[in-house]
Amino acid sequence: MTQILFKNIDMKDLTDIEVYEKQGGYQSLKKAFAQKPEEIVAMVKASGLRGRGGAGFPTGLKWSFLAKDVFPRYLCCNADESEPGTCKDRELLLKNPHMLIEGMILCSYACSIETGYIYMRGEFHDLSFIMDKALDEARAKGYLGKNIQGTGLNLDIHTHLGAGAYICGEESALLNSLEGGRGEPRMKPPFPAVEGLYAKPTVINNVETLCVVPYIVNEGAEKYAALGTEKSKGTKLVSVSGNVKRPGNYEIVMGTSTREIIYDLAGGIRDDNNLKAFIPGGSSVPMLPADQVDVAYDYESLAAAGTMLGSGALIVIDDKVDIVETTLRLISFYMHESCGKCVPCREGTRWLHQIVERILQHKGTLEHLTKMEDICDNMSFKTFCPLADACVAPVVSSIKHFRSDYEKYFKNIPTGSV
Amino acid sequence: MSDNEITLTIDGKSVTVPKGTKVVDAAKQVNVDIPVFCYHEKIGPLGCCRMCLVEVEKMPKLMTACTMTVMPDMVVKTTTEKVEKAQNGVLEFTLLNHPLDCPVCDKGGECPLQDNTFKFGAPETRMEFDRHHNAKATPLSPVITIDRERCIACQRCTAYSERIEQSRDLVMLNRGFKNEVGTFNNQSYDTRFSGNVIDICPVGALTNTEFRFKARTWDLSNTETLCANCACNCNITMGTRLNELMRIEARPNDAVDDGWICDKGRWGHSFVKSKNKILTARENSRGNGGRPTSFPAFPHDCSLPEAVSKVAQAFKKIATEHGPQSVGFIGSPYASNEDGYLYQKLFRQGLGSNNIDHKTYQDTPGLPVNHYGVEQIESSNVVLLIASDPTEELPILDLRIKKAVTNCGTRLVSLNDQKIELDKQASLSVRYNVGSETLALDALTYGLAQELGESASAQGVDATGISAETMKTLVETVRSSMKICVVYNPAALSGGAVSAVKRLLAMIAKVPTLECGAIPAAPMTNAVGAMDMGLLPDFYPGGVSIADQEEIQKQWGETAPTEKGLSALEMIARAEAGELKALLVHRSNPVLDFPGGSKVITALKKLDLLVVHDMLETETAELAHIVLPSNGPAYDEGTTTNIGGRVQARKQALTSELKPDWEIISLMLNALGDETSYQRASEVTGEIAQKVPGYQKIGRRSVGKAGCNREPITSIDEQVSTESAQVGAGEGLRLRVASFLFTHDKILDASSKLAHHFQPSTAHLHEEDAKKLGIQDGNAILLSVSNARLEATAKVDNRCQPGGVLVPKVSDEQEVNSLIGLQGGPTWVEVRKV
Amino acid sequence: MAGFTFSEKQEKEIDRIVAKYPFKKSAMLPLLTLVQRDERVVSPEAMVAISERLDCSPAYVQSVMSFYTMYHTEKVGKYMILFCINISCQLNGCDKLLEYTAQKLDIKVGGTTADDKFTLHREECLADCTNAPMMRINDTFYGELTEQRIDQILDSLS
Repeated sequence: MTQILFKNIDMKDLTDIEVYEKQGGYQSLKKAFAQKPEEIVAMVKASGLRGRGGAGFPTGLKWSFLAKDVFPRYLCCNADESEPGTCKDRELLLKNPHMLIEGMILCSYACSIETGYIYMRGEFHDLSFIMDKALDEARAKGYLGKNIQGTGLNLDIHTHLGAGAYICGEESALLNSLEGGRGEPRMKPPFPAVEGLYAKPTVINNVETLCVVPYIVNEGAEKYAALGTEKSKGTKLVSVSGNVKRPGNYEIVMGTSTREIIYDLAGGIRDDNNLKAFIPGGSSVPMLPADQVDVAYDYESLAAAGTMLGSGALIVIDDKVDIVETTLRLISFYMHESCGKCVPCREGTRWLHQIVERILQHKGTLEHLTKMEDICDNMSFKTFCPLADACVAPVVSSIKHFRSDYEKYFKNIPTGSV
Repeated sequence: MSDNEITLTIDGKSVTVPKGTKVVDAAKQVNVDIPVFCYHEKIGPLGCCRMCLVEVEKMPKLMTACTMTVMPDMVVKTTTEKVEKAQNGVLEFTLLNHPLDCPVCDKGGECPLQDNTFKFGAPETRMEFDRHHNAKATPLSPVITIDRERCIACQRCTAYSERIEQSRDLVMLNRGFKNEVGTFNNQSYDTRFSGNVIDICPVGALTNTEFRFKARTWDLSNTETLCANCACNCNITMGTRLNELMRIEARPNDAVDDGWICDKGRWGHSFVKSKNKILTARENSRGNGGRPTSFPAFPHDCSLPEAVSKVAQAFKKIATEHGPQSVGFIGSPYASNEDGYLYQKLFRQGLGSNNIDHKTYQDTPGLPVNHYGVEQIESSNVVLLIASDPTEELPILDLRIKKAVTNCGTRLVSLNDQKIELDKQASLSVRYNVGSETLALDALTYGLAQELGESASAQGVDATGISAETMKTLVETVRSSMKICVVYNPAALSGGAVSAVKRLLAMIAKVPTLECGAIPAAPMTNAVGAMDMGLLPDFYPGGVSIADQEEIQKQWGETAPTEKGLSALEMIARAEAGELKALLVHRSNPVLDFPGGSKVITALKKLDLLVVHDMLETETAELAHIVLPSNGPAYDEGTTTNIGGRVQARKQALTSELKPDWEIISLMLNALGDETSYQRASEVTGEIAQKVPGYQKIGRRSVGKAGCNREPITSIDEQVSTESAQVGAGEGLRLRVASFLFTHDKILDASSKLAHHFQPSTAHLHEEDAKKLGIQDGNAILLSVSNARLEATAKVDNRCQPGGVLVPKVSDEQEVNSLIGLQGGPTWVEVRKV
Repeated sequence: MAGFTFSEKQEKEIDRIVAKYPFKKSAMLPLLTLVQRDERVVSPEAMVAISERLDCSPAYVQSVMSFYTMYHTEKVGKYMILFCINISCQLNGCDKLLEYTAQKLDIKVGGTTADDKFTLHREECLADCTNAPMMRINDTFYGELTEQRIDQILDSLS
């Protein structure tokens, strides 16, 4: 399978700039600087690259939204990777930091940006040392600093660590956190492209997204667009975890069937159990039952199947697992991570948690399922940010596809209890 | 429809509003009720509560009306099934863990949560679990109680603390479900404006501790009146029940307070039931050696009309015997326009005397520029403060300036002899040496004159403590602003500096591209009104000068006195000399508040007749022969004129048996032959409208609930002050008495709910002086001038420049004015370590 | 309240941090992290010191600090064990291993051992899902846990 991001990922000392350069690293800069910034933006648009953090928004289009004639501008790399099941950015940051730096320099050139921040989740403390060292090396080589390679571009990039909040992966909450505040999302509009970091135009992109840009500049938009499907171009890093024999990060071409990812790349279900369910894109997307495992892994096919590609975290669940317990664990996650700003999310996530807990105690009834669906409807698309929708996804999809798991609890109501 | 307006449709109704309006405000215009919790007009949209979700054509999801700006041809629907389900859902979530405290909650009856649930919510909840518990009724401060269980985390109060107060003392703590409102390390939320959170909290989470369990809101009689504490004259609502004052709330008036009041206005009303209130007319048995007084004594059970009539006759007798220059009146900047007007009428018409005054600082009515209203601060490019400290003197002005600086691009410039809180918001803070204000102002005027090619007396920055470069920046800032608002405090200016202010204003007015206005910001409640009503020895009402004899005789009759009268301090001096025989003091306390200390007491004791007409017992009332009762704020009715020249009405909220002041004074006038009889305060206002230039349009209707501006008075040409403009020299440090909002005095007495704000006596020194005197921060020191002494704790914080010592007036006990000489001039004090 | 003063070493680090941003308030999280790592707790005094450095109110510092899970108002042990209990780890049996760890250390989840050596907390997804079940002890990630591995790891920490 074509490897773009993972091409040399396990090469020894790839974090060392000399080794990275020997593999052709930083060559894309010369190519890009020979073109106009607008041309780079057009190139990324033509490649069909979509944001790899979870939203899947066309990257080139996002870059073109920056408010004209407003300076300074900022680039924030979202390395807050907190979506349960996702660990792909970690691998990139650990083993190939220079690829990210190269991608950020290209983006900064294309968008006339002079300062970049890599917002890493607080737990990536050690990874930030690796990145800082790589940034120092890049500065020493003149890839960062003033008048880079005589283009007039001034750019410096800094790391910035978060402190333990999933909501800071949401782009506007990330900005608030980077500005030194609580990670509460912001009202949109205005959008970050117009008023972002310090109220200036800002581009926010995921680690993986930026890491693809050097390839696009080196090889051309067409070559990237030739891979994948009509609406999902290129390759995707998929973190496969859960009940599989070979959990790991795999780079697949968009459109590969999910069956192939689970059974060929990840070795199939562990302990020779059977597949029961899988969550294709991180815990915030609806889960699918085993009979849908042939769905193609790309944005449009997964959307048609009633779920989403999300962050690319494929969580595999076998038939020894109680979906109700899994769902409770996920609701608990969203309840802890809710920022508390808006009422439906703050109250709704906790209420759902209380209900599922009660069901697990064998004190639930069928009415609870209807109630939960209604609560989910009252939360969906009514909140300040999509965290509530993320909580709703596992609840609604588990009731839809695994009702029998819930019903098990209702039949076993011990006599005498409520 | 102009370019700046948008037309949209809400529930089928077409509405046109200015660009930038939010949908929720547009809906109000067509009587469409969109429920909200977290949205507040003055604080801005937050989007937290999700109550205002509406359907918008062509948008896939429901949108919050409070965050959505109107767009052309937008179609909004608020009553569809989708919207109603969402509203039900949001209310269900909001009430999910909200305790059903309604029967014991003070907010009941005026609770948006109750109201919205009733109108938009479902009758029952599906919550079957135990509600979450949190701390009930804990003190957030001595005057605010917080019930965290009731809080719906709408973030209105924390947003208020961030955006309006700009202190960020009240914040959200924790995350998610554990969200709660709190302060740093559980400290008390003790700002000057903390009480406003009570008004804005949409549930009973933040409540008024004083009002707790006192009355149900629907049992209250609400009187729309004014705060009487400072010259902002914020609009308030007094809630009373069974003739007792229960609570005070803000009553939004964009032209004055912008919807807020300060904590002193909200809780500083204990004087209304003070045990020191003067409730009856009495004759004092003065320990003055039984010296015969030259008026007939009156028996104990004398009725008030009789007593008052006798007082008037006694004054008449003395005036006839010794001449009109032997009687005098010291009025008050706290009295209403009606009281002030009638008193000057009594003394001028009834007694033929111009010995009328109400203050000890120099000032004249009228401005050489526009008299700006308070709301003009927001549309000004530059606000120049001169000797003014709004945070301590006129708190709501502090909030308005912050709003202007943050939201309207206004730049604040402070020209003061001390550091002030607002320096944080200032783009330029210029400090002059204590006592050198005339020089500093004239230097600024000269600097401007040079730029304009105008003539002015040459004045450099020497002796002001300002560097030439700073002065240059100041000149340029003033000159290049397109609209400037000058806020100056005449009560804090020494000597003839107020003339220097007016000279400066006249020069600023000459800058061709500049719009200029001024706000005379003396902190006393009706300082502007007192000047307008002619409580001055050299001006008749409406700023008509004594010199303008023709005008005076036309308006007031042939016999109106036209000789310049004595100022307040001159009256004290003449009393000392035995030339002033009778003095009437209204709502003023010369013994404590005038400079001169014990000399004032000696002088007053020499009077043949001292009558004090006041609300509370004072040191001056102790010396008086006769004491008359004044009912004071909450009981009185009348108009006051605020710093912006706005005339507003104080209404009576409580009843008492006492006659109002205007009636007392009119009885005195009747006793002297005037036959006018007024049935109510508004009739006195009517006479003011007829007789006082500038007040023609003032009447019950025009004043209404929000007040209206009177016509400004233009000042006469300011001559160069003949007073020496030198800073002068003296032994020791030059004294500057500074204002402090929560002074422990008769208004905020020991029983006040705000007693926790009282401060000990401190004196602020510059480190240079402290070093010379061997004084360190925290030392106990003594300030003295001849016989007067003041004990204080030293604060070496460079609050003023070298050569000065700054003493905030924190209590009556300090007797700070006794340090100042009787002439009221510059004072040097000896400062030494104890 | 006695004051909190930054050491010379910390001051140097603070200067380096603040230089990264055009507005110093952005240094809020880095400064809180600095204090938490060095002192193992963020005290009210430290919050005041930070507020003075960043020109904001102490209440604001507390508001930010209390939002994030990595800051603690009570002192934590020398080794902070964060045991992931999110979905991928749950599917790989983390619950039993967490119980095992708690028993081994003789503390409840959320507590600290008597000798102040270990603090044990549940934690949400730590982005190491392909090595599930896993835990993080201070800065190090340990994956593919089993009871034996847990024994090995904890015994090796001095």
